Parts: sequence; structure tokens; C-alpha cells
Amino acid sequence: MNRKKQFTEGLVTNNPVLVQQIGMCATMAITTTLFNGVGMGLSVLIILTCCNVVISAIRKMIPGEIRLAIFVVVIAGFVTIVDMLLKAFVPALSEALGVFIPLIVVNCIIIGRAEAFCQKMPVKDSFFDGIFQGIGYTVVLIAMCVVRELLGAGRFGGGLIDVSNGFRFTLDGTGAGIQIFPESYGASIMSLPFGGFLTLGFLIAAMQYALKKSEEKKTKKAEQEKEAEK
Amino acid sequence: MNKIIRLALVLFAVSAIVAGVLGVVNALTAPVIDAQKQAKTAAAFASILEAERYDEIDFSNPDFPTVLTVHKAGDAGYVVTSKFSGAQGNITMAVGVDNDFKCTGISIIEHAETSGLGANAASTGDVGVNFREQFVGQDESIALSNNGGSIDALTGATITSRAITEAVATSIWAVESLG
Repeated sequence: MNRKKQFTEGLVTNNPVLVQQIGMCATMAITTTLFNGVGMGLSVLIILTCCNVVISAIRKMIPGEIRLAIFVVVIAGFVTIVDMLLKAFVPALSEALGVFIPLIVVNCIIIGRAEAFCQKMPVKDSFFDGIFQGIGYTVVLIAMCVVRELLGAGRFGGGLIDVSNGFRFTLDGTGAGIQIFPESYGASIMSLPFGGFLTLGFLIAAMQYALKKSEEKKTKKAEQEKEAEK
Repeated sequence: MNKIIRLALVLFAVSAIVAGVLGVVNALTAPVIDAQKQAKTAAAFASILEAERYDEIDFSNPDFPTVLTVHKAGDAGYVVTSKFSGAQGNITMAVGVDNDFKCTGISIIEHAETSGLGANAASTGDVGVNFREQFVGQDESIALSNNGGSIDALTGATITSRAITEAVATSIWAVESLG
């Protein structure tokens, strides 16, 4: 399979959130600071890749009737492992994400990719599918975090960046971020779930517009080529 | 019939393997998680009521089902830990109470509140610090401002704020009940 095509699919043309529109619950709930967005995105990326590889590896042994049950068991296993590892080694992230890590079990991106892709495709393709879809998810989360944090709290990079003693990254989630305007001037509605719906709506609209435009361009080009042939 | 048995066996095998892997990971991470919880509790105690030592005292009053432990913090007062329900799950919190039955500070040890809303109660940012500082010096009549008290609830997290406020009052009563 074409890696480049897979990459653009994950990031743009078949983006899990903006085009397939799956895994929206966590997307709207946790995208309040950049730290949460990056942490959640990477957790999903890791879990998705692991699940994709395992499910693809055992795809020929899974009887069709109970495939969903087996997918859920495998996914729940990996999510619990990641949950325990985060609790042990990155407690700040595990606290910030709270209940949303266990909820990755029912995040439809993972079961969606298992059902739509990995149960038919070889391990190598499934591995890259996990990585590219995971990147696509992470990028959308980051975009939403940046918008919501800026409009809601007037801040950039909360939890991840600290500028009090020079610029540095704080991987334990303690950084205060870069304050662009005072927090009290922010529209705190953007930090609430409502703001998540609003931001996601605009992002999806922008994505659909861009996709439609590029499609029109393609068909126009094809038509022109046809006419030129005549 | 054979088919059903075969399906059950496959599902059983997959579940057993996953359970085995989980057992191994749990055995590896459980001590680290425990150590972290203990360190966190110790730091929480020190941040709300400084004392040289914290001695746990026997507290088993059926009137206070939410109270987990009571520690005597030297001569400074008491630290009460309690577990009560917040908006999304249980909150475990330590409350310092001085000898005049006033709150010296609160620290949230564990919670499962909504990220960006209720979770702000435990955050290290300005929002969390300002919220928790309101409790310092409060007595048993503590209440949210929309219930006639002086504690401002967190935006979008009234249930969490109310649960914490009530738990602080409960902790103070628990210390008063010691006499």
C-alpha cells in the first residue's frame, strides 16, 4: 500500500475526527490546554498502533461472529496498560486526563479502524495506519486546544511550556504557558464543552470546504485535459 | 454446538492472554503508583498544616462515614482525610484543622472530576490555588456564596465546589467531635 496516500488519508482526506467524525466525545471534553491535547493525542496514537498491529496479526484466527468482542478485549487490555503506565510515570497527565484514558476503550476511532482496516490488511499496513490516523487525531486535538485555550484563557501552551525562567518545556504539566492577554478577559465559554462544539464545528466546516475545493479543482483539471485531448 | 464451543474457546484464550499481560504490568507498576500516592499524601499534609510529625489517631465514628483517617499534627491541630463523591467520581481530600476548629488549608489527593472544569479544584494553576485559598480560616459554618457563605464556586463546577465545601465542614465537625 502507498504510504504517502495513507499519510494524507490519516491527516486530511480521511481524518478520523474531521472527516470520519469518530471519537468526538473526548475531543470536545479534554481540549482545554495544550498539555491535555498532546497527552491524549499521543495516548490514542500509541494505543491505536498497538491494537492495529495485534488485531491485524490475529485477524485470520478471529471468527467473524465474535470479532467485536475480541477487538474490545484487546483494546481494553492496551488501554489499561497505558493507564497504569501513565499513573506510574506521568501522574500529572493521568490526573489531567482523568476519566478519559479509560474511556479510550470505547473511543470509536480504535474499534472503527479495527473493523474498517486491520481485519483485512497485513500487519505492516495496519501499523502505519495506526500511526497516521493517530497523528491525524493528535493534530486536530492540538488545533482545538490552541484555539480554545487562546480564546478561553488568553494563553498558549498551558501545562507544556514554562516561560518564567526562560523558555522550557515542562513534561510534568506544571508550566503556566504563555499568557497572551489576561485570563479574566477570555471568553470562558470556550473552555466549557460548548466551546468544544463550536470550535469543532468550525474546524469540520473548514475541512469540508477545503476538501470540496480541491475536488472541484481536480475534476476541472480532468475536464480540461479531456478537452485538450479532443 | 461445536461451533459455539469453538467460539467460546477462542474468546476465552484471547481474554486469558490479555489478563495475563495485565497482571504482569500491574505487578510492575503497582509499587510505583503506591509510592507516588504516599509521597503525594505526605506532601499534601505538609502543605496544609505544617508539623514535625503526623500521628494517626483512632477515629471510627459512625456519624462520619466519609472520614478516612485523622492525624494529630503535633500541637498545631489535626489533618483529616476524607473520601466523598464529587461530580464524576470520588474525591479524596486532606483538610487541616487548627485548635480553634478553623480550616488551615485543603489539598485534593485524588479525584476524577471533569478536565478543565471540576478538575480545576485540584490544579496547580491560579484558578485552583485561588479556589483552595478561600477555605483557609473558614469555620464549620462554611458555605458557597450562593448558599449565603463566602466560598466562590468554580465556573461550571458547582457540584464539585459544593461537595468540597461540605466535606471541609464535615472534617471540622469530625475534629470537634474528638472533644
